[in-house]
Amino acid sequence: MEILDFSKPIRQSSKGILIIFALNTYKFIRRFFVIFIAFGLSLSKKKSFAFLSTNILLLIIVGILISLLVLAILKYWNFKFHLTNDEFHLSTGIINKDNTVIPKSKIQNVNIKQNFIQQLINVVSLNIETAGDDKAEIEINALDKPTALQIKKELFNTTNIVETESHEIKNVFFRVSPKRLLLEGLSQNHFKSFAIIASFVFGLYYEFKDYIIELELQEQIKKTIHLDEESIFTFIILNLVVILIGILISLLFSVIKTVITNFNLEVIENQKTIEISKGLFNKVLLSLTPSRIQNIIIKTNRIKTYFGLNTLSVKQAMVNAKQRKNFNIIALEKDQVYHLINKLLDNYANQIKAFKPSLYYKRILIVEMLFIAGIFNIPAFFIFGNSFWLINILFLIMSVLYMHFKYKKAYYKINDEYITIGSGFIDTVTVIFEIHKIQSIEMKQNIFQKRKQIRSLNISTASQEVTIPYIDENEAKIICDFLLFKVESQDRDWM
Amino acid sequence: MNFSNTQIHSETFPNIDNVILKPISKQYIKIIIFNKILKFALVFGILIIIKFFIKKEIIQDNYWYLFSIVLLFSVLNFITALLAFKKRKYAIREHDVIYAKGLIVNSITTVPVSRIQHIETSRSWIARKLNLATLNIYTAGESGSDLRIKGLPLRDAMQINDFLSSKVNGNT
Repeated sequence: MEILDFSKPIRQSSKGILIIFALNTYKFIRRFFVIFIAFGLSLSKKKSFAFLSTNILLLIIVGILISLLVLAILKYWNFKFHLTNDEFHLSTGIINKDNTVIPKSKIQNVNIKQNFIQQLINVVSLNIETAGDDKAEIEINALDKPTALQIKKELFNTTNIVETESHEIKNVFFRVSPKRLLLEGLSQNHFKSFAIIASFVFGLYYEFKDYIIELELQEQIKKTIHLDEESIFTFIILNLVVILIGILISLLFSVIKTVITNFNLEVIENQKTIEISKGLFNKVLLSLTPSRIQNIIIKTNRIKTYFGLNTLSVKQAMVNAKQRKNFNIIALEKDQVYHLINKLLDNYANQIKAFKPSLYYKRILIVEMLFIAGIFNIPAFFIFGNSFWLINILFLIMSVLYMHFKYKKAYYKINDEYITIGSGFIDTVTVIFEIHKIQSIEMKQNIFQKRKQIRSLNISTASQEVTIPYIDENEAKIICDFLLFKVESQDRDWM
Repeated sequence: MNFSNTQIHSETFPNIDNVILKPISKQYIKIIIFNKILKFALVFGILIIIKFFIKKEIIQDNYWYLFSIVLLFSVLNFITALLAFKKRKYAIREHDVIYAKGLIVNSITTVPVSRIQHIETSRSWIARKLNLATLNIYTAGESGSDLRIKGLPLRDAMQINDFLSSKVNGNT
């Protein structure tokens, strides 16, 4: 690998023009998506749009593309960066010149990513995150991989010497096998995928409402599903079929989504840090630094436990929203999870006594379910008529299961350094965080709980708020005092 | 050492129960009343507009039901807001800031001084008239974990602001 000199202003790889061009075109199309479709529809009807003929339209499109290309070239030409001993300099802007200087010590994260187009022409993008808001973030779109890695190394050079040393030894701790990836996809929470698909379909419907009304689809549906007492059975069957198709589609969606985002997932263990690389179309390379970790979340569910699949998500402070979801490692065995946790959190102990929330929690859960059931009864009355109460049987079963599992999975463990909180209904969720990373503590109590002497504790870290639900008032106070004492007596930074 | 639940700990640690919480300025109740009246004026304004401009029969027939329900809610809301005023209390300790509020849902939030990112005092125009200020304490946590102590006498707010600022800056 040739050593490049970053001390003089350099441009990114000339392939960058292509990347910027593609990115801008994509943004442009996305912004005017609806207009394009309207154009297309009226074109297909009348062969022309208003006073414009097809040829002129084509000319306009070509014109737009050329101007986008020129813009991309100018953008590329004016995009220069260089490194000094402890600063990163970047100058951008075609007309308004921008000069950004970032001290190396203020850099929070350096991520290397590769989207589909970048994979085709073999470049990567380098993403520098600082502690500011999202705008303060810098992205260099096209670099060849050795250069990117070298820049990353240089950026961390003054800030963290230990880290750079350990970069040399690559120790792949975990690599996901295709089989486990598939299993992970199958055992996802399909309700979520279903919700995504449903909202997408509804969104589409809303956008093209007028066209659908034109097709008189509704009239036809009304004709076929004529509601009276006899046809209610066919109606239910029809609904079941629709639901079944929905489930199948969401299943497929979950599997595809899991495979695409987690393709070739690798966890690389360095001396101090852990690196994750994954993705099919969008390749990402992320590093986790223990000091910045706020919460660690382990997720699994019944089916996943059977296959030995656990998901470990790491919440770090000062990570932008887009990147946040990438910090999870799927399909880990249980002992692998604990290996990683021990790596990231010093002497974490799991074998301590777990405390349960008060039985009052069960009552709250039931009330929650009753409320939802009550709401569902109203539309049910309009759909099913007098036999609407039948759905309450379903709700009763659901409520009992909900209460049972929610309560069973809820617990909290506190020792000198860590808090562990368990929760979940379908999923089993375990949240772990260090006491000295607490930002604030809130004790909550409503007037009904006051009589029962019950309180909830909301504990915030820089990345998440977790709740210890419904515990005894005195216990809540003791925990609050203990945690505050711990945070305030040790002079440890949260980051 | 594992955290145990015995009573011993509560005596060794500073106890949150022993803290004397200080109520905010009595003047602030005027701001609460003013804000509520503004809100109700808006709601009833919309109701009156509905009465005169929307001629649908369902709405017009049940108009007075709707009106009385809204009125009932407004009155209840107003009363709880007034009663909840007494629950707005705060305390500044050596190492943390405590703020309690809420009648129906009571919450006591504590932010350690070492976790404060920055502090800000803000004053609306009525607050300026009544010589009050709002103290905003920001942490790095979720937006919900920021403290917002409303209705402090200006002098107290300034004092707390200076005290906390010097502590925060001294620590880093």
